[in-house]
Amino acid sequence: MPLEFANNLHLFSPSPALFLEVSGKSLAHLNSVDVLVIAVYFAIVIFIGFYLKGSANTSEEFFMAGREMTAWIAGLSFVSANLGSLELMGWAGSAYQYGILATHWYWIGAIPAMLFLGIVMMPFYYISKTHSVPGYLHLRYGDGARALSAVSFAFMTVLMSGINMYSMAIVMKVVLGWNLNFSIWVSSITVALYVALGGLRSAIFNEVLQFLLIWLGALLVPILGLIEVGGWSNLRQQILTNLGRSDYVHLWSTLGHFHDNPMGVHWTGIVFGLGLVISFGYWTTDFLVVQRVLSAHNLRAARMAPIIGAGFKMAVPFIVILPGLLALSVLPFHLVGETQAVATGQHSYNEVLPLMLVRYCSPGLLGLGVTALIAGFMSGMAGNVSAFSTVWTYDIYGAFINKKASDKHYVAMGRWCTFVGVLISVGTAYLVQHAASIMDYVQALFSFFIAPLFGTVILGMLWKRATKAAGFWGLLAGTATAVGLWLWVHFDPSALRYVALSADAKAMAEDMYRALWSWLVCVIVTIVVSYMTQPKPEAQLEGLVYGASRIPEEHDDHWYQKPIIWAGVIAVLFVIVNIIFW
Amino acid sequence: MREAMSIWFFAGVLFLIYGVIITAEGFWELANPPAHPPVLFTLHPAVWWGGMMAIIGLIYTVRFWPRVKR
Repeated sequence: MPLEFANNLHLFSPSPALFLEVSGKSLAHLNSVDVLVIAVYFAIVIFIGFYLKGSANTSEEFFMAGREMTAWIAGLSFVSANLGSLELMGWAGSAYQYGILATHWYWIGAIPAMLFLGIVMMPFYYISKTHSVPGYLHLRYGDGARALSAVSFAFMTVLMSGINMYSMAIVMKVVLGWNLNFSIWVSSITVALYVALGGLRSAIFNEVLQFLLIWLGALLVPILGLIEVGGWSNLRQQILTNLGRSDYVHLWSTLGHFHDNPMGVHWTGIVFGLGLVISFGYWTTDFLVVQRVLSAHNLRAARMAPIIGAGFKMAVPFIVILPGLLALSVLPFHLVGETQAVATGQHSYNEVLPLMLVRYCSPGLLGLGVTALIAGFMSGMAGNVSAFSTVWTYDIYGAFINKKASDKHYVAMGRWCTFVGVLISVGTAYLVQHAASIMDYVQALFSFFIAPLFGTVILGMLWKRATKAAGFWGLLAGTATAVGLWLWVHFDPSALRYVALSADAKAMAEDMYRALWSWLVCVIVTIVVSYMTQPKPEAQLEGLVYGASRIPEEHDDHWYQKPIIWAGVIAVLFVIVNIIFW
Repeated sequence: MREAMSIWFFAGVLFLIYGVIITAEGFWELANPPAHPPVLFTLHPAVWWGGMMAIIGLIYTVRFWPRVKR
C-alpha cells in the first residue's frame, strides 16, 4: 500500500507503514534553543484552546465555529487540514524515489477538484445549511445513505487518526530519538484539550498557525538548496547526470506507457483515476476538509475558500517535491527503501526531508522545522477528531439514538466525543504497534468509501431524477466493488492486469483504477435504480439540487471579487505550470 | 472591553517570538561559530530568516492587536 496515509488523505501519500521499521539511531539532536521553540508552540496552542472556550457554547459554535470564518481563514484551514507531516515527509520521499511525477498529487490530483467544489458544489452544501456531508446525504437521499456514510466515516476517521499518531511517533523516534509513549501521549492530550475546549474554531485557528509554521519551517530548504545547486536548470542537469535518465524531471511526457516512468502509471490512470475520481472524491466529499469550508461566514466566503486553498496547494510542491529532487543532487549518499535501510543501516527515502533540514538548519531553525512537523501532525489529528465528533453527534447520535436532546446536551456530547475519539486513536496506535498489518487493512478500508461517495453526492447535486433508494444502493454497490477488487488483487496478484489494465502497473496505478471502477459502478447503479424507483417531488429538492434551487445572488462591488474570476486565474496558472514541467 | 483576539494576532505573536529567538541564536553563532556548521552556514540564514520573521510578526501583532471596543 505505497500510497495511503495521514489525515484521512488516502491515496495521497506514501504509507506510514514505511516508517514502521526503525534503525535505532536518530538523525538530529535538538539543543535548548530548539526545545524552547517547540515549547512556545505547545504553550500557544493550549492557550488558544482555553481562550476560545467561551466561544464554543452552542452546537453551531462548537461544531461549525459559529459559521463566522472569513474566506482566507476557511481557505487556509481547508488546505492545512490536508497538509500533515506524514504527507510532507512521505511526498518528499516519493519525489526522491519517483521524481517530479509526485507533483501530480498536488496539481491534477487537487486543483481541478478544489475549483469544482468552490464553483459548482459549494452553493448546495452551503444553502442547504447542512452540518456535514452525511447530513447532505440525509437531506437528499434519506437516512440509509446517511447512516452508511456517517458510520464508515466516523469510525474510519478515528482509526486513521490512531494510525497517523503511531506513524508520527515513529517519525519522532527516527528523527529525534524520542520515546514512542512520550510522543503519543503528549500530542494526543494537547489535541484533546484544545479541541474539546474550543471546538472547531480552535481546530481551525491551530490549522492556520500550522500552515504558516510549515511554510516558515520548510521554505528554507528549497531556497538554500537552489542556491547550493545553482538554480533549477543546474538541478535538472545534475539529476540527469547522477541518474542517467530524464524521466525524473518530466510531468507528462513519460506517461505514455506503464513501464516508461518510475511510478509505473499511465496517463489515463492519472487523469481519470487520480484527477477525476480520487481527487474529486477526497476534496469534495471528505468531511474532514469540507467541514472547514462550511464554517465560512457567507456563501461568497464559502466559494472563495477552496479557491484560495487551491492557490496555496499549487505552491506546496515547492516545499515538498523540490527538496526531494534537490536531495537527488546534493546528498553525498544514496537513499534506499525502508527494508533495505533497516538491513544495511542506510537512510531511507522517507528521511529525505529531515536529512535536508539537518543539512541546512542550525539550532533554532532546526527547532522551527521540527515544530512544523509536530504542528502538522497535531492539526491533522485535531481535524480528525473534530470531524469525528461532529458526524457522531449530528449524524449518528442525534439522528438515530437521541433525537430530541437539548442543544447543551449535544455540545457536551461533542466535547466528550473529542476525548473518546482521541482515546480510540491512542488505542489504535498501540494496537498497530503490536499488529502492524492492521494499518494496511484500515487504510484500504477507508479508501474504499471515497470514490463511490463522490458518485453519490455529485449525482444527488446535479441530477433531479436520482432517488432515495438509488443513493443508498449506488453507494453500497460502489463500496462493495472497491472491496471486491481489492480482495481480488490481494489474493491473486495476477488480477492486476485486469484491474489496472496492465501487468506492468504498480500499486499506485491499482489504487487509481480501483477508484475509477468503483465510482463507475456507483454511478451506473444509481442511475439504473433511479429509473426503477419514484423520484422526490421537485419542491422537496429546493436548495439541494441543480435546476431545482435558486442560488442566492452575490453582489460583488467589483469584477475582481467574483469567485469565478479567481477560479479562472488559478485554472490558467494550473495549465501553465503543467506545460512548463511537461 | 477589548475585541476578540484574531488568528492573525496569534500568528503575529508566534512569528515575533520565533523571530527574536532565531535571530538572537543567529547572532550568537556569528560570534561563536559551531564546530560542525550546516551547509551554507556562511550565508547566516538564522539572522535574515529570523529577522524577517520578527519584522512580519511585529507588523501583524501591532496591526491585529485587540482594540478597545467603543
